[in-house]
Amino acid sequence: MEKQNPDCLEGLNVGIGEYKTRTTQISSIGLGSCVAFILYDRKLKMGGLAHVMLPESNGRSKRPGKFADTAVPHLICEMEKRGSSRRSISASLVGGASMFQQFKGNLDIGKRNICALKEHLSKSGIPLESEDTGGTSGRSLHFFPEDGGKIIIRRADGKCYEL
Amino acid sequence: MDLSDQQLDMLKEMGNIGASHAATSLSQMLMSEIEMTVPEVVVVDISRINKYFSEEISAMVVFEIQGEIQPAGYIIYHVPKSSAIRLTNTMLGSTDEDRDFNEMDESAITEIGNIMISHFLDATAELLGVVMLPSPPMVAIDMALAAFENILAQVAGDINEIILFSTELKSTNNDISSTIVMLPEEQTLKQILTLLNNLINPEI
Repeated sequence: MEKQNPDCLEGLNVGIGEYKTRTTQISSIGLGSCVAFILYDRKLKMGGLAHVMLPESNGRSKRPGKFADTAVPHLICEMEKRGSSRRSISASLVGGASMFQQFKGNLDIGKRNICALKEHLSKSGIPLESEDTGGTSGRSLHFFPEDGGKIIIRRADGKCYEL
Repeated sequence: MDLSDQQLDMLKEMGNIGASHAATSLSQMLMSEIEMTVPEVVVVDISRINKYFSEEISAMVVFEIQGEIQPAGYIIYHVPKSSAIRLTNTMLGSTDEDRDFNEMDESAITEIGNIMISHFLDATAELLGVVMLPSPPMVAIDMALAAFENILAQVAGDINEIILFSTELKSTNNDISSTIVMLPEEQTLKQILTLLNNLINPEI
């Protein structure tokens, strides 16, 4: 398998619990139970991505990108700060796999992340345009706001496709 | 959480003892020499985990640490896919490397992981004078980083930095590399440090 130089990813990659807004490529590699919450502004050709790890922050607000309930309003707010209007934003969700069939602890965190993100998204009124969620294999994604918000996903089983 | 140089040294030494027992068992199973790196103990921010785990497809055999300290954390036997295939080939006397990872590989790797990690925990538990046992193994054949995320989600709700022990075990003859990674809960780590401290400075 081709190995990517981690230095090239630096700056592009959104690590666990982080978020970014940009007008050029944003990536998130190795999504397991985590979910990439993606916003795209079609007018400004600008994108935002948060790498969400858990559904509930329970008041822990230091890293808004880490939890579904804080990531949704925070990323929308960041997009608005950069001039986006809610009417031109749409959302996508990628990730939330459950890779250990035997995992008993904290039942299916991936599914809970997806549910929580959808719930908070529908409260915000922003439409969910596309999703590639659940399943049993990990994903890496590359998001190109400059290219119409194209999202390329590579799955652990080798499949590569556009969302 | 900040660790002093002395604490890091103690943890490395503990990892060293555990890993050398694991390496001995691997060496017996493969009937070949195993090289082991000096254990690394690092404090990593969760957003930088991608420096330690890549997208490489790997066999990840995961154990929850059970026993006196609960919840104690996780321990993982991580083998990149190509090494995993060579590892089962070596054990089963096969040479076909140009194949996909199958069920036989999965159960072989799980069992190898089980034996090695049991030795690792036995040795560290004996040193510390506590009971530490591995849970039944859980396996994922997937991107190493993605599988690790699932485990991280169990421990890193409240914390943003984790402590990782890792040791690489290699068999040069068979071109196999693998890593043992331990992810202790913060509470466990504190307890381990206290126990190690008592070992070094025994009260009479």
